[in-house]
Amino acid sequence: MDISFSEQDLQFQEEIRAGLNGSEFPANVREKQEKGTALTKADMIDFHKFIHSKGWMGYNWPVEYGGTGWSPVQIYLFLNELALAQCPTILPFGLSMVGPVIYTFGNQEQKDRFLPDILEFNTWWCQGYSEPGSGSDLASLKTKAVLEGDHYIVNGSKTWTTLAQNADWIFCLVRTETTQKKQEGISFLLIDMNTPGIEVKPIITIDGDHEVNSVFFTDVKVPADQLIGEEGKGWTYAKFLLAHERFGIAGVPVVKVQIEKLKNITAEYNDADLSKKIAELEIDLEALEFTELRTLAAIAEGGHPGAESSILKIRGTEIQQRLTELFVEAAGQYILPYEGPDGFESNRTPAGPDYASPSVAQYLNYRKTSIYGGSNEIQKNIIAKAILGV
Amino acid sequence: MNLNYSDEQNMLREQVLKFCETNYDFIDREKILDSDSGYSEENWKQFAELGWLAVPFKEDNGGFNFGPIELTVLFEEFGKALVVEPYLSSVVMSGTVLEGSNHPDKSSIIEKIISGEHQVSVAYAEANIGYNFLDCVTAVSKDGDALSLNGSKSLVLNGGNADQFIVLAFHENSPALVLVDADVKGLSVQSFKTLDGQTCGELTFENVSLNTESILALGDEAESLFNRMVDISILCISAEAVGAMTSSYMKTVQYTKEREQFAQPISNFQVLQHRMVDMFIETELTKSLLIKATLQLDSDDPETGNTISALKVQVGKAGRLVGQHAVQLHGGMGVSNEMSIGHYLKRFTAIDSMFGNTQHHINKYQAK
Repeated sequence: MDISFSEQDLQFQEEIRAGLNGSEFPANVREKQEKGTALTKADMIDFHKFIHSKGWMGYNWPVEYGGTGWSPVQIYLFLNELALAQCPTILPFGLSMVGPVIYTFGNQEQKDRFLPDILEFNTWWCQGYSEPGSGSDLASLKTKAVLEGDHYIVNGSKTWTTLAQNADWIFCLVRTETTQKKQEGISFLLIDMNTPGIEVKPIITIDGDHEVNSVFFTDVKVPADQLIGEEGKGWTYAKFLLAHERFGIAGVPVVKVQIEKLKNITAEYNDADLSKKIAELEIDLEALEFTELRTLAAIAEGGHPGAESSILKIRGTEIQQRLTELFVEAAGQYILPYEGPDGFESNRTPAGPDYASPSVAQYLNYRKTSIYGGSNEIQKNIIAKAILGV
Repeated sequence: MNLNYSDEQNMLREQVLKFCETNYDFIDREKILDSDSGYSEENWKQFAELGWLAVPFKEDNGGFNFGPIELTVLFEEFGKALVVEPYLSSVVMSGTVLEGSNHPDKSSIIEKIISGEHQVSVAYAEANIGYNFLDCVTAVSKDGDALSLNGSKSLVLNGGNADQFIVLAFHENSPALVLVDADVKGLSVQSFKTLDGQTCGELTFENVSLNTESILALGDEAESLFNRMVDISILCISAEAVGAMTSSYMKTVQYTKEREQFAQPISNFQVLQHRMVDMFIETELTKSLLIKATLQLDSDDPETGNTISALKVQVGKAGRLVGQHAVQLHGGMGVSNEMSIGHYLKRFTAIDSMFGNTQHHINKYQAK
């Protein structure tokens, strides 16, 4: 048994670190990330263009599609360094979601058309999975696509669509046939967000932020060559996407950085009770981090951890949520004056410590983590079935 | 990066598993608990014959020169079957101290431990010092050339059976580890059963005379040797806890599949499924910290102490959750002494209390 990284991997880590600390890193992004200010669409594009300029954008893609071809350990180290350098998350919708589906199941024309723009971040993708009536029971989706000549006519609606307000394209699960078994009859369709008949309406979350949206489709004409793979096989592609190794799902390095911030805050007033809770959180984080390493070691040997990654999702999000609670506890009564997620944009002097308002915004926002990506209850169902056999 | 056990380690695991399957079912174990010594002398002989008692010792001393990984393999399997033989006290604890000492007879003492004919226990706890074992009152005083030991030690594992004791005491304002024969004049031993069916002893020393060779380690050397012994002991009982957690959740899954209520197996109920998933998750997270601590201890990593504390906290919390859920899901059977499941809860409770409980190690971790 040996948990250490190889010399080459450590050297790789150094190169990434040096690249992230270099002068090409967009200053606007760095400044806002350090202050905890919300990033604009332009900031996000700057960041992704920077990652592309370093040749890192296809970090989890094979070389033949323009990816880095990195090993699982290198991917792990790369994501770790990004988080430690307080980078925003690389948006998963194009790179980690639709991209792999296109290069695995798409035809050559589709690969040529879509993959380069994903790597260069010329297109912003969003995900059209959830619907008002189908949450955790995804296969119950109702958005309809009917083939008429060389176009599909799409009618229906999607919800909780993250950052659809910025998106150029959406990948959708649509029903092309009503079948006995609901998983059959689902197809995987790529849709240009500028197509007439698409309407995006904001959903404001309890923290006051505009992160998610409803997307309505009324007689939207979608060229049939934007169907991925075969009609009726969409569920297979969707499952492939969900099972596609989701590195970093536990969020360990981000929490590490935040815990250090929290410790600096609490050091000022020496609250023994809060310090103890932070220590307990750190212990849980250590256990989670090593569990992730165990999973990584298994992947590095060619294994496919299935249900075990549900542990990372469940415990990772629990820890993230507990962390936000501790920030709120640290802020005490100064959570009351609420500036919302864009608090730093206002001209008012914050009442109380400057971390107070963002803390409570984060607390409210992070309730989502145990709900999205397959709710934690669904994750427990997966473990119960796949591992415990009940 | 490779987290696989070696073939040799897997063979050891297989051997212990087989032994426990053959010799350690619940009824066998009950008989052992009812015996005077609280362990099976026959099993101990077999441990010796199988070479298990030689596992952690250096080759010079007749051992196999195995490290912490092999110990955790052994203890994980012991934990699954709730083995009560005094391996921790007689091999791990006393062995660690003896091997780290310069006692002239250490090789012959270790040889006798390996052959199973001799048992040594470490006496570290005292009545009024909680988990601050190094704040002990028991002392070795000097009168001319003569040394004498006075005081009392508490909760000495396997105390009623040990042939010798290694006693943590103060000598000339320094901590010392001293070797004392069990039949020496001035030493009285009172043996108790523990809550989980093992035994421990209360020791009283009244002018017990020692020679200078009895002092195995003194000062900083004694302190670091003692701390290392505590770290290794925590590692071993944590591995034991992981084994016991594994058995607890697996037995619970099995039971809920067989037990029918409302015309269906109770494993169909999602509330119970999620509780069992929680048991599984806590077991895996504990295993993670166990492996982390094992590898750090093996490589003398400076972070070892913190990780050991983190591990002990996780073992305490997870043991409580897994043990309580297992009892709850077994319903009335869970609280019956005739079912094994409640005995796991007892062992988790005992393990949490040893070498610093959850609270103690949270504080220690926090002060890092």
